This record gives sequence, structure tokens and C-alpha cells, in this order.
Amino acid sequence: MTSIRGLTGACAVVLASLCGFVAPTEAQTYPTRSVTMIVPFAAGGPTDVVARIVTSHMAQTLGQSIIIENVVGAGGTTATTRAARAANDGYTLITGHMGTHAASVPLYPKLAYHPEKDFEPIALLAGTPILILARKDFPPKDLKEFVAYVKANVEKVNAAHAGIGSVSHVSCELLHSILDIKPVGVPFNGTGPAMNALVGGQVDYMCDQIVNAVPQINAGTIKAYAIATPERNPSLPNVPTTAEAGLPTFQAQAWNAMFAPKGASPAILASLNAAAVKALDDETVKKRLLELGSVIPAPAERTPEALAALVKSEIAKWTPVLKPAS
Amino acid sequence: MADTMGHSATTTRNKSVVIAFCLLAVAPQIFELIWSIGTIFGWGAGRGPATVLISHATALLAGAPGALLRAVGGDTKQASSDVLLALIYSYPLFAVAILTVFMTIRSAQDYVGGIVLMALALFALWASSDLQGMRGFSFGAGTAPRMFGGLLVALGAGIALTGLLTDGPAMAHYSWRGPLFVMVSIVFFALAIRPLGVVVTAFVSFLIAAIGTHETRWIEAVIVGACLTLGCALLFPYVLGLPMPMFPRFLVQ
Amino acid sequence: MFDLFHNLGLGFGVVFQISWWSPWWLYGLSLPISINILMCLIGALVGTLVGVLPGIGTVATVAMLLPITFGLPPVGALIMLAGIYYGAQYGGSTTSILVNIPGEATSVVTAIDGHAMAKQGRAGPALAIAAIGSFFAGCVATVLIAVLGAPLTKLALAFGPAEYFSLMVLGLIFAVVLAKGSVLKAIAMIVFGLLLSMVGSDIETGASRMAFNIPELADGLGFATVAMGVFGFAEIIRNLDAGAEMNRDLVQQKITGLMPTRKDLIDSTPAILRGTVLGSILGILPGGGAVIASFAAYTLEKKIAKNPSRFGRGAIEGVAAPESANNAAAQTSFIPLLTLGIPPNAVMALMVGAMTIHGIVPGPQVMQKQPELVWGMIASMWIGNLMLIIINLPLVGIWVRLLRVPYRLMFPSIVIFCAIGIYSVNNAPVDVILAGVFGLVGYWLIKHDFEPAPLLLGMVLGPLMEENLRRALLISRGDWTVFLTRPLSAVLLAIAAFLLVLTVLPFLRAKRDEVFTESEN
Repeated sequence: MTSIRGLTGACAVVLASLCGFVAPTEAQTYPTRSVTMIVPFAAGGPTDVVARIVTSHMAQTLGQSIIIENVVGAGGTTATTRAARAANDGYTLITGHMGTHAASVPLYPKLAYHPEKDFEPIALLAGTPILILARKDFPPKDLKEFVAYVKANVEKVNAAHAGIGSVSHVSCELLHSILDIKPVGVPFNGTGPAMNALVGGQVDYMCDQIVNAVPQINAGTIKAYAIATPERNPSLPNVPTTAEAGLPTFQAQAWNAMFAPKGASPAILASLNAAAVKALDDETVKKRLLELGSVIPAPAERTPEALAALVKSEIAKWTPVLKPAS
Repeated sequence: MADTMGHSATTTRNKSVVIAFCLLAVAPQIFELIWSIGTIFGWGAGRGPATVLISHATALLAGAPGALLRAVGGDTKQASSDVLLALIYSYPLFAVAILTVFMTIRSAQDYVGGIVLMALALFALWASSDLQGMRGFSFGAGTAPRMFGGLLVALGAGIALTGLLTDGPAMAHYSWRGPLFVMVSIVFFALAIRPLGVVVTAFVSFLIAAIGTHETRWIEAVIVGACLTLGCALLFPYVLGLPMPMFPRFLVQ
Repeated sequence: MFDLFHNLGLGFGVVFQISWWSPWWLYGLSLPISINILMCLIGALVGTLVGVLPGIGTVATVAMLLPITFGLPPVGALIMLAGIYYGAQYGGSTTSILVNIPGEATSVVTAIDGHAMAKQGRAGPALAIAAIGSFFAGCVATVLIAVLGAPLTKLALAFGPAEYFSLMVLGLIFAVVLAKGSVLKAIAMIVFGLLLSMVGSDIETGASRMAFNIPELADGLGFATVAMGVFGFAEIIRNLDAGAEMNRDLVQQKITGLMPTRKDLIDSTPAILRGTVLGSILGILPGGGAVIASFAAYTLEKKIAKNPSRFGRGAIEGVAAPESANNAAAQTSFIPLLTLGIPPNAVMALMVGAMTIHGIVPGPQVMQKQPELVWGMIASMWIGNLMLIIINLPLVGIWVRLLRVPYRLMFPSIVIFCAIGIYSVNNAPVDVILAGVFGLVGYWLIKHDFEPAPLLLGMVLGPLMEENLRRALLISRGDWTVFLTRPLSAVLLAIAAFLLVLTVLPFLRAKRDEVFTESEN
């Protein structure tokens, strides 16, 4: 029976999205038509999933459908450039992340936009903790041993990452700059192949987002040394934080946040922020995000001002780490 | 084939091939010049036509020979990209064009095919000349493109050589009407899809493409075009859920 | 063994799960329906449609349909997405055969002999044998997933960068073998393809290569863009040449039977078997496995055929083998996803996305934790394949009738379909223009007797080859012997060398003969 309801639900969703433009709205204020949300990564990726979960609830609040447009390319900067140049009428938004709105500044010298100057912050949506992972037969047993081992064998170890500009690349660069080492980084085309190589023992270690790693850690095909957040994560209660394990300076999260092109009206931004905050308070949205291992921002972190401050501090954090690398 | 063709016929044919190669040798420069005309009207970014003309002309006439002399003299100063283009791409092709004058082409299809592939490879070599080479044991960004570029130069030369040594077909006949209108239709589609939407764009593109052949019967084409447009407008955005604009932007607003 | 039957029983149980549907307009009556069967059917239909439409790729469609699966039960959603994926493999051969436009990299080789058959008026048998081969391969591969899924996973893990590089070298040798004309020209086309694949950003340093500051080129040329150009648009332009009408009319008059003859079936049975085996094995390898499978199957048929010169001129084995191989590979590519939780290709990555949206995080334990999901999907694949053959065989008649549509109406329609398809991949108008430019390049290639298939293979395998070469050298710290000291890699290279010798020898001999005959004249 439940599945029937699911089917009718699906039909309703389809119909609603098809007929978005005829849905009645109470007041003829923003939004009067469907809103486009640009996601700078492929459908089904971590950023896309977060954006879809949050926007599906926001659409109910706003009374208009939000159409997700996945634009991939150049580490998300293609899409972000497009969003920066879009009309600032509030009908084109973007779900950016740590890469597109912070790490891109030092990584791409010819970047066609600036995260602070070309965007209006709306709200922080979710944070995804980053883990230090290694193949299951890598000798070190805990983070302290790992640090010692990697420092001692810097010529021998191989670090995998999912491509220049990816979360796994920039976070590992941060780790390396803290440890003051430059091991060989083996690039892969995305997280899947990198994880395959780690499970297959072709490479030694990598830093990656929690979503991809949890099932592998639970199955024992790879091991995790630490999680780079202040608190332990409920989906991996046995993995210590970097502070507990003795490397408190390594703090990194892949955050996702919503932005509008510069110059959007304050009223529109306020209503979007309110809708986003309301979505983050919703129990189903919360549950889904937590299932992904995400950290839901505290109420104080959800304001546009807090997001602006975060972008500023993240650019400051990544610039010294990534400048020499690129 | 060869015996039916008189000596004079071969020379005239060679002459047109030589001229074509010379044009090919400066094709990127001409392309940039045409492109740069757009900057007068403020379309796109880039150098203005006067700058393009002067810098390429000096590169071709003075810069490149100078750089060549310096290289022989052991001076390894980095040449500008225009000079490199002349050096890597244009000069070898001029050399080929000059050599062609003295050749008996036994298979124009192979000879011209090989030389054009060579030109593409030389162009790729120029385009990747600013990339980093080997860094210790690891490949740089430019290693593989240069490797394959060099290989393709050799293969192109090999194919051209077979065109000189063995008998084969002559140049095939090109028609202009089909390619032209199909291209115009495609370019129109690309330019119009965002501002005008699927309905208008698909229909107009259909009709432009239809000009490509003399077989087209107009009433029939308009009817089929309209049906096809309707089908596309239903199929792509609705059945497959691809997000694309339906109607012209100014009508929707 | 008992486990297997138990599991399959579970799977079929999930698929055939009956729900009672009582909509208000039936006034209290209830209808028994199976959601999962329905999802499977929808997936198969959409997949066929996507496969048939040139340009629209599986990746784009699955990505677009992902949000719709939000409201569905997870098993049904995944069954539908899987259906789209292998359904597209069935449909993809249709455009390859009818209009010489391969929609996916895996159907490039099908176009060679498939379209040649269509030109001889034998589009019907070609389409039918493609469907039959796909069905057989799909069934076998499904059983293989059920029986050997877990042990085969080890193969995917044993493949490191060195092995992948050697596999790609082997793949490029296949491309030489499949050429029907001059070997030199085929190699030149492969290298041209490799060079085209270098456009975009460098994986290791992120440097932009040969992109001329065009943002749309920053991530390289798309397969669909180049394939639509050198196959689709080029074919159209060529057919518009003066004098080509005669040939086209001839094709229309020649159309004969819709179904394969007894001889066709006898000829293609061993090809289907061999294609299935090759496809099943190579499909497990992440990245490029399915593409190499279809090329390998074709090469094998051509090499063991009594009269290899038939290939490229409408040999039915040249359709049967690669079509079986690519469908088998499409099925077995689920193995790494289901047993490891690691997606081997872009569509599988989207499936992971679909699972995470439904709160299922795929991983090595998904088989134990979600047996009804995994076995339900495996069972649905068999049912999906059955549906696809039932859908596709009657469609053959319709497709063949499509060939009778006058070309003056057909070609503008193909142009529009291709243009919309390419545009929809990235929503980028520049891609459409690039495809047009490659159409002109393809027209030029045809005029100079170069074959586009090796070019496309070079383009698909190029990045994989370069990346894995560089990865292998990074890991081995620049030691080239790694390709020979790792046993799997050495075996692959040995096969490649053997094949190359086998290909080049007759070519040299032919050249020598040619020289002799010339001197005699």
C-alpha cells in the first residue's frame, strides 16, 4: 500500500514540476515563476544531493518550483561563472561549495568571478566532514603513527585525490601543509575511481568526504584515522576527531551554501534565507542530511552575514595552502 | 589514371594544391584576423584587427627568421606566441608547399590528406608549446600532447609519401550547398536556442537545413517541420524532462 | 547453490510484489499491479527512446530523471534507472544501424557493419540480430552477476593504473584491426583522436591544454559532440552531395526481409556467444570496460573469420558480436556497484546518487544489509531484458519503414534531433557549433578515405591511457618496467604485441605483393 502512495506521490511531483507555472500563489510577490538553482556538479553528487533535499522543501515554502540545473566543468567554476553573470532578479541561484566559493580563488588565477564581490550570500546549508583514510593494510595504527610514518617515508607514500580542485585534493593539501611535507599526489578522475584504488591497495591514503567513506570503513575495506571536525560524527562514533588524535590544527569541512548573483534585492534575499532556514528546521530534511553524514549548521551560522564571514575566512584559509601548489 | 593526364594538367593541378597549402599555412592568422573584426563592434574579447595584422605580419616576415637565427646562435630567449606560430606551423607548411611544386602527385587524395593531418598536428604542437614538459620522472601537462603531435606529423608525412609513391584516387569532388546550409542551420540553432526557445529555433533550423538540397518541396517541408517541432517541444522538455526554454524570451516575460 | 536460488527467489519475489490499486474512479474495486514491473517497463521504454534519439546520452537522462525518483520507493526507483541504462544499450544500436549515428561510445563499432547492412537493404536483420544478441547477453550476464558477482569483484580491484594502461594499449590495437582500409591511415586517425582527447584541463596539474580560453573547452571535447559531428552531420552532408540521391533510392528499393534468415542466425550464434563472454569480463572493469568490450568483440570476429574482408561491408557477425558484448558489459558493470559500492562509470555514479537520496549508502555490505534491493535489481534486469526484446523486435518493422521516408525530409529532422541532443548534454550552444565543425571535419575525412571509428576510439581511450600511464609512473616513481613486472599488465601487453604483429604482417605482405604486381605490369 505504501508503495502505491509513493507512486501517486511521484506522479504528483512530476505533475507539479510540469505544471509549476499554473500553481496558484497567494500573493503576487517574489517568486511569481519557477526559480532556477544552478548546481555546479553532476546530479547525484554530494552537493547535488544536499541542494535537492533543501530546495524541495524550500519550494513548498516559496510556493514555486525550484528547477535544479546541473552544470559541470572546471571544478564547478564554469557554473559559478554563469551564475555570477546571471540576472540578479532572484530567479537564478547557485548552491556553491567550499571549492567554488573559496578554494577556487587561489587555484584558478584567471577566475572570472570573485566569491565575495560577485555574490550575495543567502544561507549555509550543510557541512560535510572530511576524514583521513588509508588502505586497510597501511602500517600506521592511529593518527600519531600516521603522521610519523608519512613524515619518515615521504618519498615512498602515495596520496590519492579526486582531481585538481576537488575537496579531497584541497583538504589533503591542507594536511600536507600542516605536516610540512610534499608527498606524491596521484590524481584520479572523481571520488569513485580514487576510492577503488584505495580499496584495491594501489595507493596509500587520501582525505575524503564522509559520505563516500562510511560504508567502506564499516565493512573494513579501508580504515579511517580521524575526522577533521571539532566533534565526532554520529555515523562513525568510533573515529576520533583530529583534536583527540593529536592534530588539532587540521580542521576541514566541505560546506554547501546558497548564493544569489550580486545586487539581488534585500527582500528577495530575506525570503530565500527564511525559506532555507525553515527547510533546515524540518525534521525530514534534517534526517536526510544526517543520513549523509552532514553537519547541519547551528541557527547562528545560517544568517547571510555568517555565510559572508565564512566565505571570507575560508578564502583566507585556503589561499596560503593552495597558492604554492598551483 | 596517370597516363591519361598530360604533363601540363599535372602542373596546373599542382599549382592549385600549392596555393591551397600556402593558404593553409596562414589560415590561423587569417582566422584570428576575421575574428578580431568582431572586437570593433565590441563582440568578444581579443586583440583588434590592426594589432593582429601587424603582429602576425612582423612575426611571419621578421620575428620568426630572427628567432631562428637566435636559436642557431644558442640564445634560448622565449619567443612570443605569434612568432612561435609562424615558426612551428606556417614555415613548415610553406616548405611543404614549395616542395610540392617539384613533385608528381600520384594520389592527390592521400597526399593532400596526409599534409592536412600534418598541418593539424603542427597546429597542436604550437597550441601545446606553452605547456610544461617532463618534470623529473613525472609527465608534465605538455608531454603527451607533444608526443602525439610529433607522432601525427610523422604519420601525416608517411601518408603524404604514399600519395607520392603509389597510384591512388585523385581529389574527390566537394559540393557546397549541403555543407553550407546544414552548417548555417546548426549555427542558427546554437545561437537561437537560448533567446528564442525550442519551438521557433527547431522550426527555423529545419527549414534552413532543408535548403541544403534541391529536392526539397516547400509545402511538405513546412508541414513536416511543424509536426517535428511540436513533437520535439513535447518530447524533450516533458517526456525526458530536459530543461530548455520553450518560447522566445520576450514573449514569456 | 541453494543460496543462489534462495536469493533469486527473493529477488523475483520483490519484483513481482503485488500491490492493490484502488483509485476512487473504480468505486471500491481494486486492481492488482506490480510497481516494480511497471517501473522496469517505464525504464526500458525510456531507455529505448533515449538510445534511439541521437545525442541524448544515458548519463544526461538518468541525471534528469533522478529527481522524479524522489517520490518513488527506492527499489522501484533503482529498477527504473537500471532499465534506462541497459535499455539505452538496446536503443543505441538503432541509430547506428539506420543512420550511422552512434549515440554511445559502445555502439561506434556497430555502426560500421550495421549501417553497411542497412545500405544493402538488410536493416531489419541487423536490428533484429542486435536485439537478439543483446537479449542473450543480458540474460547470461545477469546470471553471472548472481553467481559470480562477489569473486569477480576481485578482478576490478586487481586492476591498478599499470594494468589499465596496458588494457588501453590493447584497446588502441583493436582500433587498428577494425580498420577496413589502410593501416597507416587507421593509426593516423587514432593518433588524431588521442590528440583531440588532450584538449581540456590536465588531470595532474590542472593546466588548460589547447583550449584557447574557450570556457566550453575547459573540460575537453565531449564524446557526443565529436561523434555526432564526424558520424551524424558528416553522413548527412555527404548524402546531400550531388549524385548521392541515386544511391539512396537504391537502398530504399533494396529493403528485403525484416527478420534474419536461418543463415544469418547460424552465422551470428557463435559471434553472440563470444561477444557475451568478452563483454561480461571486460564490463566489470571500471572506466572504458564496455567500450573496449565492443571493440574487442568485433576484432575477435574479424580475426577468426574465414574471410575478414567481409567486415566493414555488412557482415552480420560485426553487428551481433559487439552488440552482445556491450549489453553484457552494461549488465556486469553493476557488479562493482553492488558488491563494492564503487561506481565504475558515470551512470553508475548517478545510481549511487539515487541510492543516497533514498538513504541507502551503497558499500561492500549492501548485499547483506539490503538483500531485497540488490536481488530485486538483479531479478529485474532479467525481466527488463525480456521486456526489451518484446518491445524491440516489433519495433524493427517501424524503424525499417522509417528508412522509406524521403531523405529530403529525413535529414533536416536528424539535424534538429542531433542539435537538441547535443545541446541538452551540457546546455551549451557552443557544443552544437563544435559538432557542426566536426561535421565538416568528418566530411573531409570521408573525402580523403579516413575512417572515423578509430578516431573516436582514440578519443575515448586517450584520456584513460594518458591518465593511467601517468598514475602508474607516479606510483612507480618513474620506473617504466612496472608495465612488464606486473603479471596482468604484462599479459595484456603481450596480447597487444601479438595482435599488432598479426595485423601489420599481412599489411606488409600485401604491400610487397602490390609492388610485385606493379613491377610485373
